[in-house]
Amino acid sequence: MWNIKDKSPDVPVMGDFKDGKLFLRRKHQHDGSYKKFEDIDYSPVEISKPEVVGEKNVTKWITNMSRDNMACARCGDGFGAQEKIVNSTGQLWHQQCFVCAQCFQEFPNGIFYEYDGRKYCEHDFQVLFAPCCNKCNSFIIGRVIKAMNASWHPEHFLCQMCDMELAETGFIKNGGRALCHECNAKIKAQGLGKYVCHKCHSLIDDQPLKFRGEMYHPYHFNCTACGVELDGNAREVRNRSGFAKNDMNELYCLRCHDKMGIPICGACRRPIEERVVTALGKHWHVEHFVCAKCEKPFLGHRHYEKKGLAYCETHYHQLFGNLCHVCNQVIGGDVFTALNKAWCVHHFACSVCDQKMNQKTKFYECDLKPVCKKCYEKFPNELRRRLRRQHEATPKKAGTPV
Amino acid sequence: MNQAPVSCIPTQSKMSKAKKVLEESREIQNPELDLADKNVSTFEEMPGLLNMTYVTRLTLSHNKIKVVPPGLANLINLEILNFSNNQIEELPLSLSSMPKLRILNLSINRLFTLPRGFGAFPALEVLDLTYNNLKDDSLPGNFFMMETLRALYLGDNDFEHLPADIKNLKNLQILVLRENDIVELPSEIGELTRLRELHLQGNRLTILPPELGNLDMASQKAVFKFEGNEWVEQIKDQLQLGVSHLMDYLKSDTYRMLYKRYITNKPPPPPPCVDKSKKISRIR
Ligand SMILES: [Zn+2]
Ligand SMILES: [Zn+2]
Ligand SMILES: [Zn+2]
Ligand SMILES: [Zn+2]
Ligand SMILES: [Zn+2]
Ligand SMILES: [Zn+2]
Ligand SMILES: [Zn+2]
Ligand SMILES: [Zn+2]
Repeated sequence: MWNIKDKSPDVPVMGDFKDGKLFLRRKHQHDGSYKKFEDIDYSPVEISKPEVVGEKNVTKWITNMSRDNMACARCGDGFGAQEKIVNSTGQLWHQQCFVCAQCFQEFPNGIFYEYDGRKYCEHDFQVLFAPCCNKCNSFIIGRVIKAMNASWHPEHFLCQMCDMELAETGFIKNGGRALCHECNAKIKAQGLGKYVCHKCHSLIDDQPLKFRGEMYHPYHFNCTACGVELDGNAREVRNRSGFAKNDMNELYCLRCHDKMGIPICGACRRPIEERVVTALGKHWHVEHFVCAKCEKPFLGHRHYEKKGLAYCETHYHQLFGNLCHVCNQVIGGDVFTALNKAWCVHHFACSVCDQKMNQKTKFYECDLKPVCKKCYEKFPNELRRRLRRQHEATPKKAGTPV
Repeated sequence: MNQAPVSCIPTQSKMSKAKKVLEESREIQNPELDLADKNVSTFEEMPGLLNMTYVTRLTLSHNKIKVVPPGLANLINLEILNFSNNQIEELPLSLSSMPKLRILNLSINRLFTLPRGFGAFPALEVLDLTYNNLKDDSLPGNFFMMETLRALYLGDNDFEHLPADIKNLKNLQILVLRENDIVELPSEIGELTRLRELHLQGNRLTILPPELGNLDMASQKAVFKFEGNEWVEQIKDQLQLGVSHLMDYLKSDTYRMLYKRYITNKPPPPPPCVDKSKKISRIR
């Protein structure tokens, strides 16, 4: 039997409530609904003006003062001559009255947090009010960075390109990303179809030179072979083994390079120094052999060729047909579609006995697999009963023959 | 002395149905072998089968097989192996070395455990373990290393947790966990970006990891089944509105905070809700 009763309480249990009264108080305070906790409004704060949510405080004691006319802010009674008095923001308390607004316990080590006029112990403050860091998912006590519609620890709000901390320097919102000034400049240069030189950090107006993964003004380098100052036609060549990959690359002028005989990429027309992909009758850089539709590189994944172009599985499938659930091949001829799947003619069969089925075969469904009548009748009674009950509970989609 | 006459009529009529199928198949070298519902209890009743290396599909559904011999791995061209509805309690490790095996159906058997190293299949795409007796510690350490897996059917077993390693199944499109005892899902499930069928009905779930919102479960091509769990009110409300609402909600800051707090407090999971004591897979 299904047993679908919701047993979660109206107010989710937070912390360890032993006292029924506490529970009531909470309910009253927060309107009894969990949502209210989420709705606590932290006013949005600019990054330049960091907000501290809930000041951390330490209990202060009063010792030598006249105790006449002084009363406890909680119970209203006076103070004994030798009694310790707590002083906080101009109000006085008995030691036993100065307690957490949530758990009514004294504050461990005298540390408490004020929020909205109430005082909380560290545990309850975190559970109730502390915002959650969008990066590390833990509570934030102290400085909160409010940016990009989320909260962050200052050390966790980073440039999304270079991971630099942004809390002190500020950030620039670019296409939904938070970026540091330098990365933003790079993006801007890219927008103009240009690069920033990795050596002198100024814009590269003419043809840039790529070297060890970075872009440069070509004139910062000389040819490894002949020593001539390089221009945009220079080539990066990997030619010495025994060194780490990036340390092997060297620069040559076009003339010296052409003497070396290296395959040329069918996409970018540049030499291929590393892995060569051969497909469609051409050579390609691994990263330049891409799907004709989405332009993502295959990187060794299966590709499908059609009319001289290569496609990824998804897009071949999308443009030219379905993949069969059994053989996982693109379906050339007739397609059977049912149960969120497709089958080629050869493979549309009962999932239990592998007997072929056709348009007219009636079948049952189990976990969105087709099951012929004969097999379904051989299922354990107990399972059939459960499957039937489940079917009654699920709204049926039109067109699923049963 | 008179001897009793010796019959010279061939014993064909006495031959078992399985033997007959094997003989016919050998004659025409049929690579697809249908031995479903042939009243077979042991492989000895199918002589010569383990030498028929040209076979690409072997269907043995609805028999009474208890033991699978290691020699089955001789069938190196096998792509589809179907043992649905037998009485298998143990599998030989050699199965995992079958080089071309793409589809393995072990549904409706009596497996309490899988052999160590079971996840070594080089080409497995569909693994059906529906309706066995598998639980968290039944899976060998390398189970989630089967990167080629497209569909994993674990419905009707006794799992309580899904390991974080599930993220290694990068090609997984179908994951069925129907009617287990799952109490929580790992956030890593959000890394299964190709998933388009997720069956969670009849478990003990209350809450979902926010990362599930990364999956495209609201699309036309996706199926998300969730009935029969004890979802917290907030999730229940969103599910009432539709799966797309749930997916948006899971991605929200509000939900992240709710989830974080829920996980911090860790209320006890609800009790099992499906009575599986009558499963025939329980028979020992
Ligand atoms: Zn407290
Ligand atoms: Zn943080
Ligand atoms: Zn420069
Ligand atoms: Zn040169
Ligand atoms: Zn290229
Ligand atoms: Zn594509
Ligand atoms: Zn097919
Ligand atoms: Zn069938």
